[in-house]
Amino acid sequence: MLLQETVHPLAETAARFVWWLPTLPLIGFVINGLLSLQAATKLGPADPSADADHAHAGHGAHAHDAHDAHAHDAHAHDAHDAHPPRHRYAAITSIIGPGVLIASFVLALAMFFAMRGVEADAPFVSRLFSWMPVGDFKLDAALQLDALSMVMVLVITGIGSLIHVFSVGYMQDDPGYPRYFAYLNLFVFFMLLLVLGANYVVTFVGWEGVGLCSYLLIGFWFSEQANADAGKKAFVVNRIGDFGFMVAMFLLFAHLGTLDYTAIAANAGTLEPGGAVVTAICLFLFIGCTGKSAQIPLFTWLPDAMAGPTPVSALIHAATMVTAGVFLIARSSVLFSLAPVASLTVALVGGLTAIFAASIGLKQWDIKKVLAYSTVSQLGYMFIGVGVGAYTAGVFHLVTHAFFKALLFLGSGSVIFAMHRAYHATHNHGDDAQDMRNMGGLKAMMPVTWTLLWIATLAIAGVPPFSGFFSKDEILSAAYSRAHESTLADASLLGMSGSTVLYLVWILGLASALITAIYMTRMMLYTFHGPNRTDEKSRPHLAEAPWVMTGPLVVLGVLSLFGGWLNLPEVITHMVPLGPAETLEHWLEPVVGEATARVSGGAAHVAVSTEQMLIAGAIVIAIAGIAIAKARLKPEALLTKDASEPSRGFERILERKWYVDEIYDALVVRPIHALSRSVLWKGVDVGLIDTLGANGSAAVTRFAGWIGSQLQTGRVGTYAWLLVIGAVVVLRAFTAGN
Amino acid sequence: MSFDVSTPTGLLQALGPDLVLIVGAMVLMLVAAFRPESAGHQRRVGLMALGVLVATIATMSWYATNASSTTVHGIIAVDGFRWAVNLVFLVGAAATIALGIEANPRDRIVAAESHVLVLFATAGMMVLAAARDLMIVFLGVEMMSIAVYVLAGINRSSARSAEGALKYFLLGAFSTGFLLYGIALIYGATGSTHLGVIGERIGTFGLAGHGMLLVGVGLLLVGFAFKIAAVPFHMWAPDVYEGAPTPITAYMAAAVKAAAFAMFLRAWLEAFSLLDGSWLTPIWWLAAVTMVAGNAIALAQRNVKRMLAYSSIVHGGYLLVAVAAGTGLGSAAFLFYGIAYTLATFGAFAIVSVMAPTGSRGALIRDYEGLWTTRPWLAVGFAICMLALLGFPIFGGVGFFAKWYVLQAAITSPRELTPLAIVLVLTSVVSAGYYLHVVRVMFMKPRPEDADEPGPVYPLTQAVLVGSVALILLLGLFPNTLATWAKDNALGARPTAVTTNAP
Amino acid sequence: MHGLLASISYNNWILTVLLALPVLGALALWAQGAAMRHADETARTSAARKLALVVFTAEAVVSLGLWWSVDYSSPLWSGYVAVPWIPAWGIFYRVGVDGIATMLILLTTLLMPLTVLGSWTSIRERAHLFYAMLLVLTTGMLGVFMALDLALFYVFWELMLVPMYLIIGMWGGQRRLYASLKFFLFTMLGSLVMLVAILYIGLTAADPLGRPVFAYDVIVSGATYPGMASLWLFGAFFLAFAVKVPMWPFHTWLPDAHVEAPTAGSVVLASIMLKMGTFGFVRFALPLFPDAATNPAVRSAIVILAVVGIVYGALVSMVQPDFKKLVAYSSVSHLGFVMLGIFAFTTQSLQGALMVNINHGISTGALFLLIGMIYERRHTRQLADFGGIAKVMPLFAVMLTIVALSSIGVPGTNGFVGEFLVLVGAFRTEPIASVIAATVVIFAAVYLLWALQRIIYNPLSKPENQALKDLNARELGLLVPFIAGILWLGLYPKPVLERTQAAANRVIERVHGMGADGSVAGQGR
Repeated sequence: MLLQETVHPLAETAARFVWWLPTLPLIGFVINGLLSLQAATKLGPADPSADADHAHAGHGAHAHDAHDAHAHDAHAHDAHDAHPPRHRYAAITSIIGPGVLIASFVLALAMFFAMRGVEADAPFVSRLFSWMPVGDFKLDAALQLDALSMVMVLVITGIGSLIHVFSVGYMQDDPGYPRYFAYLNLFVFFMLLLVLGANYVVTFVGWEGVGLCSYLLIGFWFSEQANADAGKKAFVVNRIGDFGFMVAMFLLFAHLGTLDYTAIAANAGTLEPGGAVVTAICLFLFIGCTGKSAQIPLFTWLPDAMAGPTPVSALIHAATMVTAGVFLIARSSVLFSLAPVASLTVALVGGLTAIFAASIGLKQWDIKKVLAYSTVSQLGYMFIGVGVGAYTAGVFHLVTHAFFKALLFLGSGSVIFAMHRAYHATHNHGDDAQDMRNMGGLKAMMPVTWTLLWIATLAIAGVPPFSGFFSKDEILSAAYSRAHESTLADASLLGMSGSTVLYLVWILGLASALITAIYMTRMMLYTFHGPNRTDEKSRPHLAEAPWVMTGPLVVLGVLSLFGGWLNLPEVITHMVPLGPAETLEHWLEPVVGEATARVSGGAAHVAVSTEQMLIAGAIVIAIAGIAIAKARLKPEALLTKDASEPSRGFERILERKWYVDEIYDALVVRPIHALSRSVLWKGVDVGLIDTLGANGSAAVTRFAGWIGSQLQTGRVGTYAWLLVIGAVVVLRAFTAGN
Repeated sequence: MSFDVSTPTGLLQALGPDLVLIVGAMVLMLVAAFRPESAGHQRRVGLMALGVLVATIATMSWYATNASSTTVHGIIAVDGFRWAVNLVFLVGAAATIALGIEANPRDRIVAAESHVLVLFATAGMMVLAAARDLMIVFLGVEMMSIAVYVLAGINRSSARSAEGALKYFLLGAFSTGFLLYGIALIYGATGSTHLGVIGERIGTFGLAGHGMLLVGVGLLLVGFAFKIAAVPFHMWAPDVYEGAPTPITAYMAAAVKAAAFAMFLRAWLEAFSLLDGSWLTPIWWLAAVTMVAGNAIALAQRNVKRMLAYSSIVHGGYLLVAVAAGTGLGSAAFLFYGIAYTLATFGAFAIVSVMAPTGSRGALIRDYEGLWTTRPWLAVGFAICMLALLGFPIFGGVGFFAKWYVLQAAITSPRELTPLAIVLVLTSVVSAGYYLHVVRVMFMKPRPEDADEPGPVYPLTQAVLVGSVALILLLGLFPNTLATWAKDNALGARPTAVTTNAP
Repeated sequence: MHGLLASISYNNWILTVLLALPVLGALALWAQGAAMRHADETARTSAARKLALVVFTAEAVVSLGLWWSVDYSSPLWSGYVAVPWIPAWGIFYRVGVDGIATMLILLTTLLMPLTVLGSWTSIRERAHLFYAMLLVLTTGMLGVFMALDLALFYVFWELMLVPMYLIIGMWGGQRRLYASLKFFLFTMLGSLVMLVAILYIGLTAADPLGRPVFAYDVIVSGATYPGMASLWLFGAFFLAFAVKVPMWPFHTWLPDAHVEAPTAGSVVLASIMLKMGTFGFVRFALPLFPDAATNPAVRSAIVILAVVGIVYGALVSMVQPDFKKLVAYSSVSHLGFVMLGIFAFTTQSLQGALMVNINHGISTGALFLLIGMIYERRHTRQLADFGGIAKVMPLFAVMLTIVALSSIGVPGTNGFVGEFLVLVGAFRTEPIASVIAATVVIFAAVYLLWALQRIIYNPLSKPENQALKDLNARELGLLVPFIAGILWLGLYPKPVLERTQAAANRVIERVHGMGADGSVAGQGR
């Protein structure tokens, strides 16, 4: 049952065009998609089997194939000497692709100001049409605009626009240029659906849709097995999560009779707090989150996802899609606040993921892999936030992370871009353009990128006044204070008391903060400092990327620098008057306020002194991390990828990512395949049912028949005797009665 | 008009159609002997024989509409059932002769009397159908059998034919012995050979448990089981069917069986229905064993005629289910089934006779491979006959409803025959194994290079073929007339009163 | 629209026409074939397929009116006709439709022309017989959906068998003989047992004159059987339908039949003939023997079989090297969802089951057509023989991707709506079963995406694939309706759901006596 649409204060504002937000990117998808198909299409002969194997037709395909056969990231450049002409629809695509995004960003801004204008606690729900009405199950295709979705929409369209623009430069020479933008637009469409959905199912549509797009974009250069595999892995692992999401929906419907957010928020009270039902619902939802947001145990797909073009990694696998899980929990804060055990699980898993991923990040050589694991670890932070019931903090970190992680990825993108340019100009296809061991000293060649990336690094490391510092600090202090006193602290998980768990989580958070600072500094040192390890021929070709790419970086740099102002903690504004405190907190009040209050049990914050202590500690840790890295790592001593011998011992374990992939493969994937092939198919199907059952019975009948026909000796004597025997039997049967 | 069959005149009049046939047959016998054997002569005699049959049918149809009997215990029945089965016999005989006229030269049979013998056998069957006295029954059986023994061996040029005929004769004589002895015992037990009287006496004197009577009836059953080739009394059938000239095989498969069933049903319903306590079990098992074994063995056959032989054994088993029902509905189902089965059988054998020019080589299922590509019509026709025998709706035409009627009889029977019905349907799944095998060989296999082209289809054969296939399909779409006809001509069953024990 | 249809008294004749038209078409084809006996094969083929296409298109166009003309809310049958056929045995020509039947009828009539287009160039010899069989088959299938006389129903039920047997056996692949016979025997075994049951029912319901009664309505309203009997009868119907569905473990005929059948055969088999089984359950097995169907033992047994089928099918298709076999096993899985939906006895699950029926018809049909298209080009269905052909066949790649996604059940496609409704509904009465069934969202993704990858992605390494031509206009055109259906039913299934709602509720009420809203007594909140 959806709440009756009373006249909502937003009904008359720009908000009533909310359905345009997703529609615009959808239009972009359609146009770009048609363009790319149109460009690719060459209709076949009337009779397919007529000239199936024409030799000559092969060449075109062959050239095409060779074209991105070695397509590795940013192999937008052709393997042949001559630059290929840009795609024939490049111009129009470059306008439409980013255009639709910017348009919906502007629209979003309009709505944002409209929302600031009015005083509305209830979300603005716009029903498009009735989707699946079956009996008492009434499901509408409806969008919901409230504080939370507003924030998400701004992030998605804003960062999205920047990344689209960046892509115009980054993908310029790719033969699949329109296809790329089609996918990207489609992604934004689904992402907006995800955050704007007014019920779990619409959200689920977006949820699966973004998964699909990431599948398509990871495998964008599908001619390489590795990319296609990575795409598939991403999708499948996500489906595992989606299974949890679906079960959660079944439970919700079975127990609350609805899937609409507003109705659930209204009826949530009917669920027994801390009861099995609500806990189960939340845990299943969280399974979904672990898939989408790459948490233990389902994080393995994200690093592989780096096979996609770097802007994709920035948009989907850093800024937006992977944070959907955090959004979902914030969206379901009402439920989670009723389920302490589930919340503790979320926080604990978040903490573990944070440190686990960070540890792997220490030893990666591929620049994108470093960022990938740092993303996983930062997501862990966000889950600590929403887990401990500091939903605003979680969302806050989500936003700031979107800023600096997007910046980091795009920055690394332009580095890779430069490396490729250089390698390409010198026909060097041997060296890996993403391996930091082949870089070094790029500071000289790409000063802008260098500056911006340092800003991002300091931000993620949590050095004030960069954005990351504020969000991260808020999460950690929240964890600490919840451990101190909250409904969670009173609950217990795996025999540990809630507060123990939360202290543990807090420590994990601090530890991974330290490691984060270390590996990020490591990345910067190896990439930009020390001597340049690129071969002499290529070195002169290294240069800053064109402005269409650097421009967005600058914007993101500014955001990463001042993002913290979104939600300054009071404790700081008391000391230094930087600006209004807790803006975001107030903004999200109508959505997560109640839930936050329920968890914190009123005791919002610990004593000011403690809080200042915590902040100081956080700063110290960040600085320490950077210092350690600076002291320990010697870029000068580094050798190129080919020159350096494989690491061993614990280092190796880290480099091989704790062998998690191998373990999953051995424990899950192979057994299931073996079961399906050997037992079920060959065994049950072919063996039991067919050979024994169907064909078996047939064979038996035939054999019996053969026996029978053998009695047909053709000798009258036999026949006569049989006749007599038969007669006797019949007579016996007759007289048997008496 | 109605006859008093207790008087010789009335009896003669009541036997009108039979007399027409017998007289005609005798005359033709002379005609046949009048000239030396020659292909032309046998053809001429054959055509005349057809004429006689037409005359008989005409007479009979007049009787069917007008005749009735005033006598309670006449030794000859004057009822619809008799005329109905006669129709089956006469149609069968006509088809046999029609096929024979054109098949005989191919089989190097020049004996003109072959057709005449068919007429005699048919006359015997008609007597059987009419018989209400065990003596008449015996008379009919002998008339029919002796003629058929000869027919089975009519192909003097084929050793196999002669061998089959001899076996048939020996075993037939053997079984007739059982029959006769059975009749004697029954007479001894009840003091009468008249079915109606026997039935009454069993009731009035409570002979239901009478040992001698039971043994007698048992022997009667054995004789009957031999005629319908029910397992395990079937051994002769495959050899004889394979050896005999194709048209005669068809005749034996369809008409002879029908005659035996007609006699048996009448005897059962009019005389022994009170014994059902005793005879139900044997017939139940006879039916079950026949269906199971027959189908299983048929699967193993590679020779079309042998396969059809076993198939006819199997259908005997299906009909036994209708008999076991022991109701009027059962006899109605038998009539319906008789028509359907006769059509399918003659349709099939018509094609077999075309496909088997020399009688031996062309009789293997393998020789039908890819027939569809060279002779589509033959293939389609044969397929329809196979599906009819399988009892498949629409494509199998009336065959399906024949089975339907038998099942209906079984399920409605007060004797709780649903399990037997299940056995019937399950075994007919097995039968799909060999019927469909033929279809698939014809339609789904390529025609082998070395396969010799089947001979032309001569007009009479064509008439039989087209006629039966067309009727199969037509009656398959509109079976109502046939159904009503069968119901109206069914035997009235004696109410199955409680069987009182012997004194 | 309603007015127009009423003015031509559409409902009075439509069903009969739909049944008669294909038969007449078959006769016409037969006549044409006989007339062109001496023409060369190509001429014969093109003539035959044109004629067939015309007939099927006419059929489709005529049938469209049903969408409006049927009265979906009323408990009475629309287009009801009752004419004595074999009065002696109480058998009537009784036909009529409700929402459920109408949707499947429309699916059939709309799908058939596309299958003709699908076999346009692949059927090269004996085309007349082929299309004639396809037409007869259509009559059989439509008859099953329409029949309201058990005897008539059985006749139509069996009528489908022979044409499909010939289609598989005459135009099929290497092991076509084995596959066709297996198909025939499996189905016949089930249906003959059902025949006995039907006779038993008809004879127990006999009228005062002792004539059997096979009228569906009479039997449903009147019939009650002694406890054991109803179980036996239900068992007989179950066997017949379970084989057709096919439910595990009666499914093994399906992979063989699918793999060996020509494209059109596979499409019809998967899209429509498999629905006979589930339809049979909804139309006959449940309403006739509600007490047997709701018997806890029976019910849980069926639910278990359904779930086993769902997971089993998915797991086994994960390891199939042959694309057709993969899809065949995925059908086992999908149809398992339908069975689960039916036997969960909630409105949502039943409605979902009906949706899955239709969706599976669309997506699997499209999949088989797509397989047929590459098979025509490469004469292989082994996934290993392809790879990277998205480069040379972009249109094909797009189509295959969309269809695969719908089969996976990605939200926004039709596949999602059905499965989601089934699960969300079934969870109320069969929570564990539906949770297990839900795991298939994972496996489905695995087997289909892997197939997708091995066909259209990965390096375009095999030289013989580099010459492949993309879809031509005909192929593209015949796929578009499928894509349209996939998106329409995915985004706006309401029109269909509305039309089946009343009928579904009747079944539920009949079976369970529970509220039309689907809430089970003692279940739910």
